[in-house]
Amino acid sequence: MENDSKNINRRKFLGASVLAGIGVAGAGAVLSSCSKKVDNRTLGLPPILKGAPKGRKLRAGLVGVGNRGTGAAINFISAGPDLEIIALADVFQDKIDNCRKRFESFNLPIPAENCFVGFDAYKKLMAMPEIDVVICATPPHFRPEHFLEAVKNKKHCFLEKPVCVDPVGARLMIATAKKAEALGLCVITGTQRRHQEDYIETYKQIANGAIGKLTSAKAFWNQEHVWFRTREEGWNDMEYMIRNWNNFCWLCGDHILDTHVHNIDVINWFMGKHPEKAIGYGGRARRVTGDQYDFFSVDFDYGNGVSSHSMCRELDSCANGTGEMINGTEGYTNCINTIWNLDGSVKWKFEYPKDENGNTMNTIKISPYVQEHMHLVHAIRTGNYVNEAERTAISTLTAIMGRTAAYTGQMITWDAIMKSDMDLGPKKLEFGPVDMVFETPVPGTPPHV
Amino acid sequence: MKIKNFVLRVINGSKARIWIMTFGALLCLIVVGIFNTVLTTTSSDSYCMSCHVHPWAEQSWKLGPHHNNRTGVSVHCVECHLPPKGEGYLFAKAKHGAIDVYGYLFKDSTKINWESKKLLENAKGFTYEKSCIKCHSNLFPVTLSVNGSNAHLAYINATEDPKPNCINCHLNAGHFDKNAKHEHDTNFGVDAALSQEKFTSSTKVSKFVNFREKIPGSTVAFDMVAIPEGTFNMGSPADEPFRKPDEGPVHKVKVSKFWMGKIEVSWNEYLAFFQATASQGRTEGQIIVNKNVDAVTGPTPPWGAPDQGWGKGTRPAITMSWRAANTYCMWLSKVTGKKYRLPTEAEWEYACRGNTTTPYFFDGDPKKFTSKGIFKKIFGPDTTNINSRIIYMVNSSSKTQDPGSVKENPFGLKNMAGNIAEFCSDFYSPDAYKTATGLVVDPKGPETGTEHVIRGGSFKSDAKDVRSAARDFTKTQAWLVTDPQMPKSIWWYSDCIDNGFRVVCEADSIK
Repeated sequence: MENDSKNINRRKFLGASVLAGIGVAGAGAVLSSCSKKVDNRTLGLPPILKGAPKGRKLRAGLVGVGNRGTGAAINFISAGPDLEIIALADVFQDKIDNCRKRFESFNLPIPAENCFVGFDAYKKLMAMPEIDVVICATPPHFRPEHFLEAVKNKKHCFLEKPVCVDPVGARLMIATAKKAEALGLCVITGTQRRHQEDYIETYKQIANGAIGKLTSAKAFWNQEHVWFRTREEGWNDMEYMIRNWNNFCWLCGDHILDTHVHNIDVINWFMGKHPEKAIGYGGRARRVTGDQYDFFSVDFDYGNGVSSHSMCRELDSCANGTGEMINGTEGYTNCINTIWNLDGSVKWKFEYPKDENGNTMNTIKISPYVQEHMHLVHAIRTGNYVNEAERTAISTLTAIMGRTAAYTGQMITWDAIMKSDMDLGPKKLEFGPVDMVFETPVPGTPPHV
Repeated sequence: MKIKNFVLRVINGSKARIWIMTFGALLCLIVVGIFNTVLTTTSSDSYCMSCHVHPWAEQSWKLGPHHNNRTGVSVHCVECHLPPKGEGYLFAKAKHGAIDVYGYLFKDSTKINWESKKLLENAKGFTYEKSCIKCHSNLFPVTLSVNGSNAHLAYINATEDPKPNCINCHLNAGHFDKNAKHEHDTNFGVDAALSQEKFTSSTKVSKFVNFREKIPGSTVAFDMVAIPEGTFNMGSPADEPFRKPDEGPVHKVKVSKFWMGKIEVSWNEYLAFFQATASQGRTEGQIIVNKNVDAVTGPTPPWGAPDQGWGKGTRPAITMSWRAANTYCMWLSKVTGKKYRLPTEAEWEYACRGNTTTPYFFDGDPKKFTSKGIFKKIFGPDTTNINSRIIYMVNSSSKTQDPGSVKENPFGLKNMAGNIAEFCSDFYSPDAYKTATGLVVDPKGPETGTEHVIRGGSFKSDAKDVRSAARDFTKTQAWLVTDPQMPKSIWWYSDCIDNGFRVVCEADSIK
């Protein structure tokens, strides 16, 4: 009798505990299904850091040492402790000299034997075993090949945007991104808006339904004309084009890639996908060198009636400005810091930090150009993996789709651009005469994709 | 007595439960142990090979990269031919085991068509993609080439149905096949008959009779058969066995006279075209849209071996696209000064029937000829008449055959049904016949469409699909699934090995 009661008790206990277990699990399920808020990690958002964490020393090599390259290298060493630039590679000796002087002025000299010049300089730099991180900041034409070489040499990467100029390069980027992922190599891509706290907080609001379903968008980068170089005596074709890279489509991809890709990337980010097709137009009005357009206007069709109007222009004395705007069923946002209700009243505003005088600043404290390097170092040192290469390749390919739509006058689908064999640039990279024809594209005339 | 007491004590005693539980646990252990041993033993290579006695399986596996590789790792039978454990492993093992036991007991291994097991669609039935992925979890190793990367990107992004399977491309990864090539064949079609004298002009034709056409600039000649004009019933009656709805309704069609190739366009003929027109790239090829161009630009070098290593010569040419077949006709017209083209669907069926109205152009019942159904699997289908006239599933050894081996139809044509399925010029529509009223003269099919009609069935077809009225159509997307190029080839299908064509020559080509 005593035994039986014991048994029964035990059974009861087991039963109760199992029920309790189910109860806890069930409650968890209910709780999680009730809460609509989604956290940073599930939204794929980067951490906002005050500095890169301590850890083993990371030595970086810089490939492409012009203004942005040198800037990116300085951003890297400013991101946290024990970060060094130890090698440089470029096609021009004078660029190397300038960059070395810059680092000497910081008391951070770069040894001459670690500086490489020429079209294969990047290979020599990436073969250095002491290098952990490669910063790729050449004109975008070279990026896919450089990235592949870096991954083959097992280096973590910082890649400037845009990451390619044509669909062949985009596919190489995506495949290499997957190779990097398989090897656990971290990659950050210079899309700094994705690392900006105000953008991130606005994105969280939108992702949690602050403006309802997204219905349309616009993205714009309208600015004054940008730099160009006139040809100097003694420059051969190749030297001239690379020194004036910002004006040749095969090197730069046109400004719809070079600068406007930032806005396009933000729209892709907020929409959660890339567009299905594009129709657009553009033209050349005042450019003095190269083969590119001065302005583009593209309709990116995201499907289900959702479109984004993309504009970019490099003309002086016009209604200029840059940014993004997204409309939803319950409001609209500028993506960076403010959300409005449909009647125009402000629904939410990002709170910027205060400066030492107690006045609210109009930007975040840490430059996003440094923040993205903090993220890279954080990922390498803590093992919280990051790889932005594929998504930036997709945003770059989106811009290529828009560019192709404008150049050709045709409707360009994602499928067509993804599969296109468009491969810009000369077959062989070497200094000397280049046998290429530079005609500004005229819409409605072949070849198309 | 002692034992009996012990047992009673065990059953009735105060510790009864403990005894029974211990006993049960032990029994479980033993059963699980035996089960596991059986499972392991019956999953070993040697156990597999003990039934799969045909030498091809073991030898070709040993020669292939899953055994013969630089790492020394050997991949065993069940690691590919069963799904991973926990993902349907036991079920698949029971299923394949039952089939194997049945085959072992009731079938003669020498009579099984092992060649056909190598075909992609058959291999998919006993090669598990999940198992491929289980080991090959990294689809982007750093050493992967640009072409390989593009192919794997296409694979992971595929939206078409059916999605490509690993073995669409890697069919020979498990079992070595010396005929399988995985490269651009730049030597393809290099002329072996250079020493022979080339024809300088085509055959002059002044009367509507059979003639032998000579291709100028080549050593190749082929026979054209004069098909008289006539009226016939197109389609199949509702009571014809295995009839499909797109074969009806039966309607009267009048066809004007024309010549038709006695055999399907052979490799000899197609290679003459390839050599004369081959291009290096797609952009050159796209010029052909204009019919009045001075020169025709032809196919790019193919990927792999388009003849599948079966041989060329008078075997029918295969794997070219519908567009390439059309370009061939344009080119042939140009070099011969006659009007060659693909047959219309009506011309094709008229020529195939040769004035017969039965399911085949000879006597026979599709129900008796078919291999479908459990009884046919055990006792085998009837092959009287059909065996000597049609190359189909039962007699083809899963390959195209030389046309010398079959008898002619009443018009004197060979292989109208079977061997390879043939392109027609018509767009395909399942409702193509439904609009017919009264006597239709020289119909050309729907005005618009996406895919084209193919007729006659192939060496892969069951007897039911080589009936004179049976219709089929091209499947452009599925036939290009594994083409590693972006964009895909406009000249060669990467995933269709049983399609070709036959030419017709218009009667007003007489000069």
